[in-house]
Amino acid sequence: MQRYMPDWWVLPAINDQNREFFTSGEIKIQQCEACGQVQHPPEEVCHQCQGIVFDWRSCSGEGTIFSHTVVEHPIPNSLQERVPYAVILVSLTDYPAIRIIGNATNIDADKVAVGQKVRAVFEVIEDEQAKVTLKIPQWEVIS
Amino acid sequence: MQGQAAVVGIGETDYYKRGESPKTEFQLASEAINKAVADAGLKLEDIDGFTSYMESRNDPGRLSAALGMKNVAFAAQPWGGGGNGVAASVAIADAAISAGYAKNIVVFRALAQGQFGRFGQSKASNYAHGNRAYSAVYGMLSPAHICAMQTTRFMHQYGVSQDSLAEIALAAHAHAQLNPRAIRYGKPLSREEYHASRWIAKPFHLYDCCPENDGATAIVISTREQAKDLKQTPVPILAAAQGLGKRDGALIFNEPSFPTSFNREVGQQIWQRAGITPKDVQVAQFYENFTGPVLMAITEMGFCEPEEINEFVADGNIQGPDGKLPINTSGGNLAECYIHGFELINEAVRQVRGQSTCQVKDVEHSLVVSGPGFSPGSAVLFSRD
Repeated sequence: MQRYMPDWWVLPAINDQNREFFTSGEIKIQQCEACGQVQHPPEEVCHQCQGIVFDWRSCSGEGTIFSHTVVEHPIPNSLQERVPYAVILVSLTDYPAIRIIGNATNIDADKVAVGQKVRAVFEVIEDEQAKVTLKIPQWEVIS
Repeated sequence: MQGQAAVVGIGETDYYKRGESPKTEFQLASEAINKAVADAGLKLEDIDGFTSYMESRNDPGRLSAALGMKNVAFAAQPWGGGGNGVAASVAIADAAISAGYAKNIVVFRALAQGQFGRFGQSKASNYAHGNRAYSAVYGMLSPAHICAMQTTRFMHQYGVSQDSLAEIALAAHAHAQLNPRAIRYGKPLSREEYHASRWIAKPFHLYDCCPENDGATAIVISTREQAKDLKQTPVPILAAAQGLGKRDGALIFNEPSFPTSFNREVGQQIWQRAGITPKDVQVAQFYENFTGPVLMAITEMGFCEPEEINEFVADGNIQGPDGKLPINTSGGNLAECYIHGFELINEAVRQVRGQSTCQVKDVEHSLVVSGPGFSPGSAVLFSRD
């Protein structure tokens, strides 16, 4: 799928903590091996038991729009051609306390509303500089 | 337990639109500090400490050399790169004075955004690193976007109207019409102009967002005992607080209490320490980065329930000098001048001294709440001596 933000827009700098999130093609959330706590964004220490060994929990990729904003004023100016765009905050169906930032890729920015159901889609981008295939989580409004 | 400190002097430079200051930021800082020290009836050599916040570029070494100070006995800043530290910088000075670590501490903030560029402005690069990867990649870039996300949910959850956001901007502009120092002096704002102004990041119109300005403000804090012998009526610090609830430091909107202005614990602690309730406060200054978080902060500080905020701010209730709780009586960040919120401290002190251009009657307690929506929150409460 085409990128929601412009092709030249910033990409995630991949590291060991975010590789699963941005390259797996699934919605994957950090889970503590010791106590099972899930948390996002990934941290070096578990917020519940302070464990330091983690695994990844695959989620269904379904969620609900918890909040949003429509950006009208471009920052930086080079986004002038892209505004208005909507940024959404998705609450996962599997773990409602987990919230993920994204874009609603299939509807006009002004049609985005709290409570809409969304499903994960992925922007596949070859980052040739970093030599990695990115699968950036994004969202389609389904109802 | 209450501290032993009081504000004994205040000072500020002229205020400028961004980039229009003829002086450098360091020169502005020096001027504001000189004025605050003179206002107190002290000499520069009496100053033996500094606090500031938001990673001040004007460090105590350079300042103390330029100001000819004999000793810097205390210098500190709260953590964090935001306006959430305004009141915390006063709290740290209060603690240091109460502990006897210094006798006369200057608390200040200076900025010349023309000289240094917009504080915190995002720059485009090829990659978003660290936790910015989870936000910048999706075009979530500025404090406006962060606060808009918080505010959209707050409005949805509690039925808050766009007109309630407007009330914050309208109050600030109304108060600025009484204040010749204010950037927006002589430039009133109508409700129609507010609603017609362009969108920045919904739900924020242009007038929901604080402008960019240049200037400096400073205060001097001393012991209450010494304050009695100085030039001005001392303004005691009755209580101060920082606060951050359980896991509220979780990032990118994963704090359990989202949407929050990070003031719930601040409010609980400050009223408990002061031994008063919100009803005992006659006037308050709420740091306005954006209007929405101010509404959240009013509720989290305990002035009303979130469901009551529309009524709380309507009908001139927050406009001075006669409203039920006048807020931002100098015009605040939105309309007086955005010195990263420190001008609100000077105004809160003026209200206790009886020197505001929008003077509220019989002020016993005067509150300042720091930048909402960034953690940890902080607040400081001044009282009549």
